[in-house]
Amino acid sequence: MSEQVESLIRSRKEYAAGFHTSIDSHTLPPGLDEDVVRFISLKKGEPEWMTEWRLKAYRAWLEMKEPNWAKVKYPPVDFQKISYYSAPKSMDDKPQSLDEVDPELLATYEKLGIPLHEQEMLAGVAVDAVFDSVSVVTTFRKKLWEAGVIFCPISEAVHEYPELVQKYLGSVVPQKDNFFAALNSAVFSDGSFVYIPKGVRCPMELSTYFRINEMNTGQFERTLIVAEEGSHVSYLEGCTAPMRDENQLHAAVVELVALDNAEIKYSTVQNWYPGDAEGKGGIYNFVTKRGICHTNAKISWTQVETGSAVTWKYPSCILKGDNSVGEFYSVALTNNYQQADTGTKMIHLGKNTRSTIIAKGISAGHSDSSYRGLVRMNPGAEGARNFTQCDSLLIGDKCGAHTFPYIESRNPSAIVEHEATTSKVSDDQLFLCQQRGLDAEKAVSMIVNGFCREVFRELPMEFAVEAGKLLEVSLEGSVG
Amino acid sequence: MTDFQQQALQLAQQQTAPDWLQDLRAAGAERWSATPWPTRRTEHWKYTPLAPLQKTDFGGWGQAADAADIEWIDAEAPRLVFVNGRFAPALSSAELPAGVVRFADAGADQQAVIQQHLGQIVDSERHLFAALSNAWVEDGVLVHVPQGAQLASTVHIVHISTPEASATTASQRVLIVLEAQASASVVEHFASTEASQNGFVNSLTEVQVAADAEFRHSRVNLEQEDLIHVGGVHVNLGRSARMKGFTLAQGSRLKRIDYQVNHRGEGAELVLNGVYLPRNRQLVDYHTNIEHCVPHGTTSETFRGIIGDSARAVFNGRIHIHPDAQKTLAELSNKNLLTSGKAEVDTKPELEIYADDVRCAHGATVSRLDATALYYLQSRGISQAEAEVMLSFGFINELLREAPEASVQSYLRRRLGWLLGRPEPLARHLEGATS
Repeated sequence: MSEQVESLIRSRKEYAAGFHTSIDSHTLPPGLDEDVVRFISLKKGEPEWMTEWRLKAYRAWLEMKEPNWAKVKYPPVDFQKISYYSAPKSMDDKPQSLDEVDPELLATYEKLGIPLHEQEMLAGVAVDAVFDSVSVVTTFRKKLWEAGVIFCPISEAVHEYPELVQKYLGSVVPQKDNFFAALNSAVFSDGSFVYIPKGVRCPMELSTYFRINEMNTGQFERTLIVAEEGSHVSYLEGCTAPMRDENQLHAAVVELVALDNAEIKYSTVQNWYPGDAEGKGGIYNFVTKRGICHTNAKISWTQVETGSAVTWKYPSCILKGDNSVGEFYSVALTNNYQQADTGTKMIHLGKNTRSTIIAKGISAGHSDSSYRGLVRMNPGAEGARNFTQCDSLLIGDKCGAHTFPYIESRNPSAIVEHEATTSKVSDDQLFLCQQRGLDAEKAVSMIVNGFCREVFRELPMEFAVEAGKLLEVSLEGSVG
Repeated sequence: MTDFQQQALQLAQQQTAPDWLQDLRAAGAERWSATPWPTRRTEHWKYTPLAPLQKTDFGGWGQAADAADIEWIDAEAPRLVFVNGRFAPALSSAELPAGVVRFADAGADQQAVIQQHLGQIVDSERHLFAALSNAWVEDGVLVHVPQGAQLASTVHIVHISTPEASATTASQRVLIVLEAQASASVVEHFASTEASQNGFVNSLTEVQVAADAEFRHSRVNLEQEDLIHVGGVHVNLGRSARMKGFTLAQGSRLKRIDYQVNHRGEGAELVLNGVYLPRNRQLVDYHTNIEHCVPHGTTSETFRGIIGDSARAVFNGRIHIHPDAQKTLAELSNKNLLTSGKAEVDTKPELEIYADDVRCAHGATVSRLDATALYYLQSRGISQAEAEVMLSFGFINELLREAPEASVQSYLRRRLGWLLGRPEPLARHLEGATS
């Protein structure tokens, strides 16, 4: 079978989203100091409190050390060599409608298959498209406005809804939370803001599409979703970047607030450029995502991680209110020289809180994939329940799969169950499929898809199809 | 360097060890002083603060004392007894099986064996307190079984702590070398007199199991709760070697035990079972690390704990499959029962896998006794207290009956009421409970 493997590796498909759009941009020269932070704030025309908020984060960041506990290796990032702001020139005078947006930008999103025209195929999804440091366009705003839902770039929310932003920004992920969150708090340029009023069920799927385009830039977006009492929202996020030899940094922060009886479903299909087959280039994806659940609320994280050279990401739930529910469904696929250290934290504070963690790791090539998770039952978590299942699949003998679950229980009535397995795609399964006339690659694809099914079925339909395809492309050339 | 690190070095200088151990002692001292003191940010000590060591002023080495009221695990079996780290000839057997000797009495051949292996099996760069043990080594026990031989009978190595006027330290060192096709069974028993303790025991056991050899090992840590104990068992398994290990620990102010087993030869088999029963304000920390360096190894590891009162248990079970260790089968299970609202358990089973053709799994659970099972027993006329004890006993008895020595099993069953802190109701149910 090893010959097959080799030929498949050679035929590996290119990263489809790896093109670069030639577009005139205002890009800040590389480097970071207080002036850069002030410049970004000024560029966004932010009020004084926001500038101070950023500076506070920046000063905290200066005192902090880059975390080194994750099971990933990468050369040190020179934070002075990154440009912290880049925006297409055509965005200077804020286009009022889609017709005024630079056609080059629209063409980029068309090429990526992201529907910015509201009448298009995926018409049921409202999109906020973020290009480098700015939001290009947000669709369906009128329709959402009628339902009372606010969906806009966060830079706009700072002006339009300052009281909401001031109340919730940093309430789940404080500025000093960790090194990358502090950096993000200082220099974040754009992102999405979502507010669902009391009792409203958001009429459509919301989504943000992140694109890194410029060289030597980092993307630092910030997403804040507030679901008022009894509301419901489903949000998706996608991301791509051009193929380049150097590594680019993506340090995002996502904060979710689910008030009493609210429900937030957050899905990610992460497809940043993973670097080439020799491990050159690719995105460093260092992301802090966290949500807080009040009484009876529910937050569900679903992620399909196929891109990025290095992933450092732990979407978490603080189950503060009684009966609140946290869920985490993850597929992390690494190939070639990719490294992923990802997992979740479930902090049970309230009574009868429940959490479910299903994590599937697939490693191929020379890659390393780790699950790192924390389940904590605080003394108040009476009758709380957690179930965790981590499965790893190894494809090839040069890759690694690791599991680091931390379980801390301080309440006897809480029940925590964790199980993890690691195995390879079994020869028996492969043989059976091939014997039925499927080729090796198709067979592995089927087996892997079955392995991930529990997670895929949590994704919104359109994304589930995309995720399945993405998995096939990412796995191509790694079958053994 | 912290105060305790300084103090430990001064203590090392007070000893008189034979010349042929001086190199090891010097290397240990160097490593000990060069290693930064673990803090909460040190992953291996994240949940186990070393503050009790720092807070105590250890004036000197433990002195010989009388400790005759200890209940032996097997009064008939040959034993070597140390009290406060000092050999106690009056309590020890006069006749020991061939191959069992104190370092102090080792002949030239035995000295050669000790020099070849002592400090070589443990990775003292990774284990700070093993470095300290090297720096502190003065006396110890060698069990050496030549090729194809069998140790004549199970040997008990007993370490007893007694309270002293001021806080003192003790070092316990064991080296077990089984040549090819040899077999041996060793019981390590740590005990203390009933009075409250003030000492610190640093124990280290190194085991070399050569090809096709078979090693059975039991280690019970039953000291009083105010004693500080940091210990380690470090094993190398050769080709097709077999080890069956059992360990049980009650908690204390600070009790940390490391098990490290290296699969160095293909096709070795390891079965390791452990039980921890901290209560009151005790802490037990078990760290196990199984390294599969070569193909076809098998590991089956099960640890269970019952944590009561305001006690805390820490478990960290790592299984590391190296790139070439194909066809490895490794399983780890860790189950915990919390019996009080103030108890805490922090468990972390880890899998680190670099080979694809392996089957590895681990599981961990934390809960209290099953309410349905309790109800069932109560509906049959058994009081709640008794039902709790019966279920707790059942929970750990599965592992107890896997202990390699029958004497260890029966000893622990006899004392289980005491171990679980529930003497009366338990005793009734244990009479006649043989398996």
